[in-house]
Amino acid sequence: MIDRRDFIKLTGLSLALVLTEGGFKIIKAVQEEIINPVLWANITRDNHLVLLVNKSEMGQGVWTGLAMLVADELDFPWERVRVRSAPAGPQYIDRKLGMQLTGGSTSVRNMYDFLRQLGATMREMLINYASEEWKVPKEKLKAQGGYVFGNGKKASYGELWEGAVKLPIPHKVKLKDSSEFIYIGKNIPRIDAREKVDGSAIFGIDVRLKDVVYAVVERPPAFGCKLKGFDPSRAKQVEGVIDVFAISTGVAVCGKDFYSAQKGRESLKVEWTESPIKDFNDQKLARYYLNALNRAGAVARHDGNPEDVISKAKVKVESVYLLPYLYHATMEPMSCVADVRKDKCVVYAPIQSQTWALKTVSRITGLDEKDIEIYTTYLGGGFGRKANVEFVREAVEISKKLGRPVKLIYTREDDVKSGWYRPMNATKFVGALDEKGRVVAIHHKIAVPAVFEWAGMFSKIDRAAVEGIENMPYSVPNLHVEFVKIDLPIPVWFWRSVGSSHNAFTLETFIDRLAKAGGRDPVELRLELLSKNPRARRVVEVCAEKSGWGKGSHRGRAMGLAYHFSFGSHVAQCAEVSLDKKTGKIRVRKVVCVIDLGPTVVHPDLVVSQMESAIVMGLSASLKERVSFSEGGPQSLNFDTYPLLTMEETPQIEVHIVKGQGPMGGVGEPGLPPIAPAVANALLWGYGIEVNQLPMTPDYIKTLI
Amino acid sequence: MTEIYINGKLYKVSLPEDTPLLWVIREHIGLTGTKFGCGKGICGACTVLLEEEPIRSCITPLKAVKGRRIITIEGIPADHPVKRAWVELNVPQCGYCQPGQIVEAYALLKKNPRASREEIVRTMSSHLCRCGTYPRILRAILRAQGMMGVKT
Repeated sequence: MIDRRDFIKLTGLSLALVLTEGGFKIIKAVQEEIINPVLWANITRDNHLVLLVNKSEMGQGVWTGLAMLVADELDFPWERVRVRSAPAGPQYIDRKLGMQLTGGSTSVRNMYDFLRQLGATMREMLINYASEEWKVPKEKLKAQGGYVFGNGKKASYGELWEGAVKLPIPHKVKLKDSSEFIYIGKNIPRIDAREKVDGSAIFGIDVRLKDVVYAVVERPPAFGCKLKGFDPSRAKQVEGVIDVFAISTGVAVCGKDFYSAQKGRESLKVEWTESPIKDFNDQKLARYYLNALNRAGAVARHDGNPEDVISKAKVKVESVYLLPYLYHATMEPMSCVADVRKDKCVVYAPIQSQTWALKTVSRITGLDEKDIEIYTTYLGGGFGRKANVEFVREAVEISKKLGRPVKLIYTREDDVKSGWYRPMNATKFVGALDEKGRVVAIHHKIAVPAVFEWAGMFSKIDRAAVEGIENMPYSVPNLHVEFVKIDLPIPVWFWRSVGSSHNAFTLETFIDRLAKAGGRDPVELRLELLSKNPRARRVVEVCAEKSGWGKGSHRGRAMGLAYHFSFGSHVAQCAEVSLDKKTGKIRVRKVVCVIDLGPTVVHPDLVVSQMESAIVMGLSASLKERVSFSEGGPQSLNFDTYPLLTMEETPQIEVHIVKGQGPMGGVGEPGLPPIAPAVANALLWGYGIEVNQLPMTPDYIKTLI
Repeated sequence: MTEIYINGKLYKVSLPEDTPLLWVIREHIGLTGTKFGCGKGICGACTVLLEEEPIRSCITPLKAVKGRRIITIEGIPADHPVKRAWVELNVPQCGYCQPGQIVEAYALLKKNPRASREEIVRTMSSHLCRCGTYPRILRAILRAQGMMGVKT
């Protein structure tokens, strides 16, 4: 067992010379122009660099990428770098996002300049101090590899740091020229690999406090149900059960360990009000979404006169798509430890959104934000889901009620039942070609819930609903993009690549259908449509070249290519696919992926990892995943009914990085959108199959053969 | 009192005998490397070794392992080729499923150091990884075989 002080020691804060336990509380938020290094980094006496990183490590490698930036400018040995999670607080806000949040594939892009500046400032501080102490002019001193030396003197950064932080902080220090980089651009070891291999990495579910009470929450079977009543008497008789009471989302059962809480829950009787969507099953949902396409929506973009051009066109193509609710399926279900006291509250949780957590905890406890400490653990997967802090709220509610520290654990079933899915959606595309097979008009309409509105950010045209369509890099003279908002009490949320996760599928498969109708090669058509976008053209060209596009037979496999721009990066993917026509089973054998994220690639192998990761997740979703509904609630409650892709089903993946000019793009999400349409396009060209629904399960594919 | 040996150490626990081994290891013994993923023995995050056999600890009741030897992720030596290969190839992403994957791979190579690529893929396909580290897990196991001097 560890107590709070130990946890802080584990997270490195007690190693800090300036930051002691709770010390960051008294330091005022950093001024805009001045970097206050002690808020972000410290060098211990035994010469370890301890960084407080304001981004959540959920697998994307962000701690490695961000630490590289500081260590490079500081010129510090990589094996002596330690990363800890910055606590929630205004001083750790990502100024470009306006909050402390890990999302939108923005971390390295947003923190790049700041963290390099931080490392360079620290280096300058060390040199300044050594110069004063040793009475040696700065020009004669060098800071390299964790040591300052010159004029026969030598000291480690750690020996100098305590003095260095007492001098005025230099402003506007000189950054390295890219030719001087020692880490940036190189494949150095992931900073979290060892902990994650020996089992010592602490995730949310691993935080152990003394005298903690374990809690599970019984949730409604369908969405929109409210608690009507419950009978705790039998549950309370279960050995180890401590208390049973209602919270905002259901009934909490608390026990001395997880198993007794869970057993208590099994003996609990709960009555719920009727779900307002109790007659919704998969068929009803499909009808509901498709019918919504008949409603007028909000127009996101209208160029030229698409209706007119389409009505007069000789060749018209029309497609209607229906894509499912998707579950994030983080391998670590939601879990949170909260300790609410009268005058303070401490939370440990695997969260992507510290700012939202802080506000939520403050609201529930009535405490001032300065009296709330929130520590982010490692996240056992995030994919957007852990930016939603409802599970933190629940843990805080339970601890507040009990007056004791609580560890809330979601079972897998709880995790699915809690909702917050990638929204289902229906899309209709109509396109027109001229006599040369050129795309002259595209009319688009999507019916989808508004993800940003669910996240408290209302706008008439939901940013997620039309992303990737409204701003498509294709030049189409007559273009219409329209959004019909779906309002159902099924909570939706950001799911890796958000709107692009469905919009890339509909747009990119539609482009291939247009190509087919016009007798065009889909790569050639894309290049024509991308004539004004050289970076996009380049990734498509490189992808075609590397995959051997148009070079005849690929061992009898069909090939499909798709391209998408999202989160600042251009990605093209080509899938080699075979289909067993008897069983309807698809095998994706190989995927060639090309990404252009701009001229600076901090850690190429992490980019490759993220492409592999996004391809596997995107493939998993497109081949296997769908949250199935019955009586207004989810039926796919665990991995037996919500299966994920396995190693056997994983294709060979080849990733190429192309360095285009322009701002830095993101990495965590942009690899996902192209894979599903690439596979579907292979089915179109290889087998004449038009995939209008996902997932491409054998049962569904058989209906198309 | 139920006696179990975990990583060579004897533990005596006083718990209902139907308590899943996973929670005994995590909450009562305090070794949190073994993870909870699905509670149904599907995802493999909770995999530990019973004697030399990988089992799903989330569906294994305490009474089934009475007096027997359990190895968890913490009990596999840090310098074992499987763990080394995992670090060298930057396999983990979020890392949550990796202890289960490593325990499974360790057991596989212990039983069959010359396991073919196909056998490796078949065995490891019983584990889920949402981050999609499968290509690297496969490479890491092949590399571990190389470190162990096994020609496949």
